[in-house]
Amino acid sequence: MIVIDTKSFGSATRRERNGGLEPRAAFTVFLVVMFMAIMLVGVSSAYAGRSSTGKLAFYPCVNCHPVTIGVDGKPTKPLPVDLKKHEIVLEVHDTLGTDDKACLACHDDPSRNPGMLILPDGSLEPITGNVSKVCQRCHFEKYREWEAGIHGKHESKCTSAGCHDPHTPSWIYIAALPPFQGTGLEVRAVSEREPFTPLAGPPPAPGVLSPLWLVIAGSLGGAFVIIIIGYLILGGFKR
Amino acid sequence: MAIITSPRPGVKRFIGVDFDFGALRTAGPRYWAFVVMLLIGLGLGGLAWANAMMHGGVVMAMRDAYPWGLWFVNYMYFVGLAAGGLVVYASVQLFGAEQYRPLSRLAVLLAGVFVLMALLGIITDMERPWRAVWMLLTPNPTSPFIYTGSAANLYMFVCFFDLWLLITHKGGDKWAFRMTLIALPLAIYLHTTTAFVLSMNKSRELWNTAMMVPIFLTSATASGIAVLLIAAYIFKHFGILELSAKMFRSLSTLLATVIIIDLFFLLVEILTVFWPTSAKPGHAMRFAEFFTGDYAFAFVPVLVLGITAFTLLAGRKTRHLPAIQITASALYIVAVFMKRYSLMSMGFAVNPLGTHASPYAPSLTETLIALGIVSLGMLIVTVSAKVLPLVETSHAPE
Repeated sequence: MIVIDTKSFGSATRRERNGGLEPRAAFTVFLVVMFMAIMLVGVSSAYAGRSSTGKLAFYPCVNCHPVTIGVDGKPTKPLPVDLKKHEIVLEVHDTLGTDDKACLACHDDPSRNPGMLILPDGSLEPITGNVSKVCQRCHFEKYREWEAGIHGKHESKCTSAGCHDPHTPSWIYIAALPPFQGTGLEVRAVSEREPFTPLAGPPPAPGVLSPLWLVIAGSLGGAFVIIIIGYLILGGFKR
Repeated sequence: MAIITSPRPGVKRFIGVDFDFGALRTAGPRYWAFVVMLLIGLGLGGLAWANAMMHGGVVMAMRDAYPWGLWFVNYMYFVGLAAGGLVVYASVQLFGAEQYRPLSRLAVLLAGVFVLMALLGIITDMERPWRAVWMLLTPNPTSPFIYTGSAANLYMFVCFFDLWLLITHKGGDKWAFRMTLIALPLAIYLHTTTAFVLSMNKSRELWNTAMMVPIFLTSATASGIAVLLIAAYIFKHFGILELSAKMFRSLSTLLATVIIIDLFFLLVEILTVFWPTSAKPGHAMRFAEFFTGDYAFAFVPVLVLGITAFTLLAGRKTRHLPAIQITASALYIVAVFMKRYSLMSMGFAVNPLGTHASPYAPSLTETLIALGIVSLGMLIVTVSAKVLPLVETSHAPE
């Protein structure tokens, strides 16, 4: 993201003016700087529009967890005590730990702060908020690219948890554009809010064609070459 | 200006060069046996290329996961081998390394032939080679291929022009010096842009490192000097060139120096990739394939052969022995080829989404095309050894 510090632009212009520039020249410089600033702000805004919408677009947590926080900052409706724990199989994120440890890597303790995620600085983010910030903790490079609009910029609803399943990020919530013949990418695409069904893998690449005549020619040529090398070695070298 | 004349029959003068075709008539049966062997290789290469033209890319092992194949490995490799000739030639002209002067013509000839081989690799990879002209007419300036391709073309012409100057003594030392001033930056430009083809791929974390450029330069120089050293021994063995032991000792010392710099750069890259506080998961995961993955068979020997080659040349008492010099050179030539192969293949082995592709192995067609190109290069040098005046003659500077 391009950050424009308009204060420093303004102060720089003032410094130049105080430094003895001609008023007209100073005004021209001011205009140029303002133009550049507007352009840069415009560009950054355009990219910002393509990045996070701050919504957990696809993951249906709130279907079962209507989490709301009261004015006192506490959940108005705690989770039922007898609610069974989730049983989510982590395919990639199992590196975060086992059992509760894996969950608590991103989620805050649900008995204390239900529906809250932990951000890199230790602060909490509602599960309905900007979940991408949580992904940033480990996937900071991708986050930076996504923030700049490079990664996933063509997806209007793209947030980290909006495109990727947060628990298994290789499951990507995109509409597969037909014909999806596969390019060797392991993308498992599902449409919005439908039960997840992995797509079949890409079709196997066609085999390498080696015509019989070429194999025979290569074999014969190889045999001749071996005979000649034998002749050269056993017969000694002479110019 | 010195004029080369020869009273012998069979000498034809063309563009100021005496081509000694008469020497071919006196060549022995083993020479012709070697030429026939190269012609067989060339013929097989021609058949394979025809096969590729008839059937298209299905005869190549390049699939979605591997858009580049053996041709690109060879491009990097041959361009690198060309570097050695120029380093030696430039040392004579720029730094007065007179011990290398007898090697000048051979060095420049090899440099030109290797670049020719590299370019032929690109041409034969194109399924519609006649469309190559569009690269010149509508170049894409954001693609490093434009720069490395054009540099290779220019470099080849500069090398052959240099050879012509050396043989004819046109312009004397002054022009030889000027051409070196053109050729040396051009060579660095060529090797740098070849490295940029890899390092400017943001999505391929294995390649996306600035260290790729110096590694390319040192690998190219080391392998180029190694192949020149072996060629020099062959030419000396057959009495084509008279080369002193001092020259070989100096060349092998230079080789050892470049090898250790090359290995050092590689070590620096490995450390940066795996050091706990600097490791990036994607990069480290891809690089680990070099040591424990599918490509360990190709990359681990790079280190083993490289270190062995340096160790052989490091000993002062044994460095002067021809067997040691030739063995070390051969080891490093193989090591750099395997480095190029594993570098190209490994870059594609894990795609940007982290999916693995099975290892790349060239198809029969690709292998035969490469064999044909190598045969053509060796054929040019073999015929040149007889026909061209490669012996450096003294001349009065103009």
